[in-house]
Amino acid sequence: MNISISTIGIVNANIPGQGTQDIANAGFDKVFLEFGVFCSPYELEEAGMPAKGERQSDRISVADEPSEMGPQSARMLRMCQEKRLRVSIARAPYLPRDTKRTDLQELLARLQEESIRCCGEAGCNYLVVRPLFAGISAGQEWEKNRVYYLRLAALAREHQVMILLENQCRFVNGHLIRGICSDGETAAEWVDRLNQEVKEERFGFCMDVGVCNLCGQDMHAFARALGKRIKAVVLRDCDGHRENSLLPFLCTYQGQPQTDWLNLIRGLRDIGFDGELALDLSGTASGFSPLLRPQLLTLAKAVAEYIRWQVEIETQLGKYPSVVLFGAGNMCRNYMKCYGEKYPPLFTCDNNPKLWGTSFCGLEVRPPEALKELPDGCGVLICNIYYREIEKQLRELDVKNIGFFNDEYMPSFHFDRLKEAGSDGEIG
Amino acid sequence: MAKSDEKGKTEAKEGMGSAGKFSDILGLGVQTKNVVEDENPAAGFRMLKAAGFSCADFSLNYYLTNVSLYRSQRNDFFDRSEQELERYFTPHRQGAREAGIRIHQMHMPYPIYIPNGRKELNEYLWKVVAPKSVAVSAFFDCYYLVVHGFKLARNLGSEEAEWEWTERFLHSIAPIAKEMGVTICIENLYSNAGGHLVEGPCCNGKKAAERIDRINDQYGAEVLGFCFDTGHANLVGLDFEEFITTLGQRLKVLHIHDNDGVGDLHQIPFTFTKTRENTASTDWEGFVRGLRAIRFDKVLSFETAPVLDSFPGEMKSEALAFIARIGEWFSRQLSS
Repeated sequence: MNISISTIGIVNANIPGQGTQDIANAGFDKVFLEFGVFCSPYELEEAGMPAKGERQSDRISVADEPSEMGPQSARMLRMCQEKRLRVSIARAPYLPRDTKRTDLQELLARLQEESIRCCGEAGCNYLVVRPLFAGISAGQEWEKNRVYYLRLAALAREHQVMILLENQCRFVNGHLIRGICSDGETAAEWVDRLNQEVKEERFGFCMDVGVCNLCGQDMHAFARALGKRIKAVVLRDCDGHRENSLLPFLCTYQGQPQTDWLNLIRGLRDIGFDGELALDLSGTASGFSPLLRPQLLTLAKAVAEYIRWQVEIETQLGKYPSVVLFGAGNMCRNYMKCYGEKYPPLFTCDNNPKLWGTSFCGLEVRPPEALKELPDGCGVLICNIYYREIEKQLRELDVKNIGFFNDEYMPSFHFDRLKEAGSDGEIG
Repeated sequence: MAKSDEKGKTEAKEGMGSAGKFSDILGLGVQTKNVVEDENPAAGFRMLKAAGFSCADFSLNYYLTNVSLYRSQRNDFFDRSEQELERYFTPHRQGAREAGIRIHQMHMPYPIYIPNGRKELNEYLWKVVAPKSVAVSAFFDCYYLVVHGFKLARNLGSEEAEWEWTERFLHSIAPIAKEMGVTICIENLYSNAGGHLVEGPCCNGKKAAERIDRINDQYGAEVLGFCFDTGHANLVGLDFEEFITTLGQRLKVLHIHDNDGVGDLHQIPFTFTKTRENTASTDWEGFVRGLRAIRFDKVLSFETAPVLDSFPGEMKSEALAFIARIGEWFSRQLSS
């Protein structure tokens, strides 16, 4: 699974040096490029109309002249190359969701073609092209979009670009509801029909988590409906009501996340997602002072890696020839419920002497000293939220192959929880 | 309890206050909560009739509230035998008849299963409250009983696993429902993610339609139907038109109410706006298109009891009448 980050809110397209450097310094090596920075939704909204007031205009508008996309994106692409940032995924320009323009289908098609060319030059294999929606009457969505997407197929093939459809919201007088491609089964059908027509896998799907959240969707079911057609996931947080692109886990209310990360992770796990995980934190980044961006981006990288780790949790469990757990509480119980059969631990450990020699979820509970004599390659998985304290304890015991387990996003949960152990402050 | 007549025989088309001119719709309804009181139910039904309603959604759920159930508490209301429940509700049935109000639909207490709840309480809900609710429904000659599916996807791991539990519950009451001529209606619900209301049970129209058909085929009767809740649909951004047309004739019951897309407020339709243009932010046009497309010919029923909490008590009649006027407007849209 590749991790990339959107340049919006971080990189100034005209002066891209510092932003791209910040991204590279945070440890990213891939970026998610929005061609919308060269032709914004609101610029498109005014395409072909007389300039309002003092429109800044020493540059030619890409909305007026799509072929300008290449020259105007060249500086950004060059800078990415210089910083060793590969453009692994890009998104073509799009209209605002509340657009009044119903006459821009031809212009949009031309902009997508230019985006494909730019992707080809940058070696970017995935281009997100949002479905047409403005000016399309109910019942005509598939037919109009079919023509639109098929028009792009040959050029995409020439530049080795896969076109990704994306789930959309629909603007109903300020309320964003489910729009085109927001039904997983229908979206899957669209992708399949397009690929059948071009006789190759030229089309895939990009799942925008923000849109799913705005529409209150069951992301588990959505991901499963699309399966392997999902080539990219745009990872962003919002409060579920207003468009925003925040760093995941920032939107909380009373300590609970407002995006249903549990069902997203369950869904991506179920489909064995191994595509592009494109982080979009433009809203958060714009809100932070440029002085704090380097630290923010370091956190962003850690967040994306954590989500990848959660999605791939079974890979972590399967990498050891045998495992032992540390902890005889809820997390151990959850491990045993969901993974105990497939990855059976030899035993579990706990710091509570009262538990030594007892059995917990079918596992013998042993003292930490038992970890000194483990078979070769055996992994010790910490099943307790006091990870760092226990890790330190294990290192002092000279334990090798320390790993972590986490039960926040389990495939299923018990109906009850055991009472908290260690109320006396003891770990484990 | 007596078995009801076939729906087609007794579900005669009723007027909506003004000479039944909207012939495609069977009637206008609203919840009885906050209007029909146990002390004098006839007065409440008369008030509904005077406001312009011909039908009611009997709020059986308020005899055992979700608030108490989520606290793992219950009262003894459903400890009554079926005969005792009949006696208890006889004045209500009588009052409704005298006022010319038909109980078109009823809401079973919910939840009917409490995750992590006491075993005895869950068994009581499932084995006592549910079948007695069906019996009460039949007693009122009410053909449609709305139930909430179980909210267990988080624990069980998927919507499919959750539905299996709901289906097991439905099978437990389906034979009684069939015998009594009652159709159990599943409703689109929401779940909660940090205060953000997200898709819950029965929010996938295609799946709901398949499941309803399969179960009805199994019983050789319409034991299962659907209750479309506009407010819940609005909260999770469902496309009203698409959802309704997918359900088609499986749609038996409506819960019409409005909200801001954030909270389950159960307010009067057309109340909420989100832009400077002040146009309704709930897709009522899609709602009408959907109902029109499936030729909906049942009751336009409002689930707006909370409105009567927010308006001054002295304005109850006027508030109800206004809701009924909105129902008439919807009805005209459907018949035009």
